[in-house]
Amino acid sequence: MSPLRESVVLPCLFLTVALLGGLRLGADVRLLAPPPGALIIAVLAVGALARSNALVVERFIHRRRSALENLSGGIVIVTLLAACAQAFNTVTPDTGLLHLIVSVFFVVQLLTTLAGVRERMAMLRSVAVLLGSAFVIRYVALESLYAPGPSMMKRVMTALLEGVTLGAIEYRPAGTATGYVAFVALALFIAGLVLLDWPEPGPVQMTNFRLKPEATEPGTLTVVESEAVEESSRVWQPAKPD
Amino acid sequence: MGPVVVRLGGLGISLLYAALIAWLYASQPQTVAEVTGGLTATIGAYHIDEQAFADGVAFFRKDQFEEARAAFQRADAAQRDARTQFYIAYAFYRQGWGRVYNDDALFKQGLEAVDRAIALAPNQRLVVDDADLGMRTGDELRVELQRGLTRDASDLNPLRLFRRRL
Repeated sequence: MSPLRESVVLPCLFLTVALLGGLRLGADVRLLAPPPGALIIAVLAVGALARSNALVVERFIHRRRSALENLSGGIVIVTLLAACAQAFNTVTPDTGLLHLIVSVFFVVQLLTTLAGVRERMAMLRSVAVLLGSAFVIRYVALESLYAPGPSMMKRVMTALLEGVTLGAIEYRPAGTATGYVAFVALALFIAGLVLLDWPEPGPVQMTNFRLKPEATEPGTLTVVESEAVEESSRVWQPAKPD
Repeated sequence: MGPVVVRLGGLGISLLYAALIAWLYASQPQTVAEVTGGLTATIGAYHIDEQAFADGVAFFRKDQFEEARAAFQRADAAQRDARTQFYIAYAFYRQGWGRVYNDDALFKQGLEAVDRAIALAPNQRLVVDDADLGMRTGDELRVELQRGLTRDASDLNPLRLFRRRL
């Protein structure tokens, strides 16, 4: 990973998500710090990212790296944690029963992901679907449902759930502008996750060479190119045995 | 540019950006003017619009309090100047003061403004040197506004009709 991406692009991207994730543009402008529940969700999310190799911690903090490199790598991980907290915070209702329900849903979903997902692309898809679904629920469904005045969503819900009312389920609409801000924050967050392990274009492609005795005459060995190796997998994935 | 320079630069940018975000979350600015005013005040470069402030004082002395507040708010759009916020609070006080009863809504806004002014003053000690004012410190104005919002038996004292506005 280039120093520019690691030291400038990723921290700035994640800090922007941390800033925008708490922004609520309603009747007044509010910046909501993540509640403790969002921090727990963020730790789970970072754990799941690390377990699935979407975040290879050794690429950011390792004994072979210099102190300055480890420091900038540490900042990436800390800012990623802050961005995770605010990305989940922005799609969670701010207060009330809905806040609790959505938070529990995130915890369970991330625990499932932590236990089951082992591939980077699957993890990225999972996070994108999770955050995208939560975005639709909060900023499309709930905002329409609780918006003052009649709306299409209210009519649909009333028709589907005849006789059921929202009763005392409290929700404070965040405002339309907040939805746009949240969308940008989530897009930046996903982009940041992708960039965590995006291969750098270089003049020489890293390849894995191995000895392949069966393709040669008895008593000689031939070196052949077996497969391209992802940079992130250099440490952990040895060449497959013949 | 060497990688060490890039990493050091990135470190500086990240720390500054994180500090900015922490400040934004702590101060909760409501307008762009408050953001820019707060940032310039942090480095000691904030200045009010002196012309608008002078206009505000002139309106204030003519008992045109709404006009005065408009001018003061224009002078100190970021709400970072203790003296201007003091005058805004004083304008709320004088407009809300009544011989028989006070306007609670105006007094509450005055209390918010004087609290802001005291918080902005160095060591929270606010003294305004203006001979036209009956109260020249933030503490006096704050107590007077609080007293005006308090309900007690002294409100029924008929001698209150003879009190004077400060």
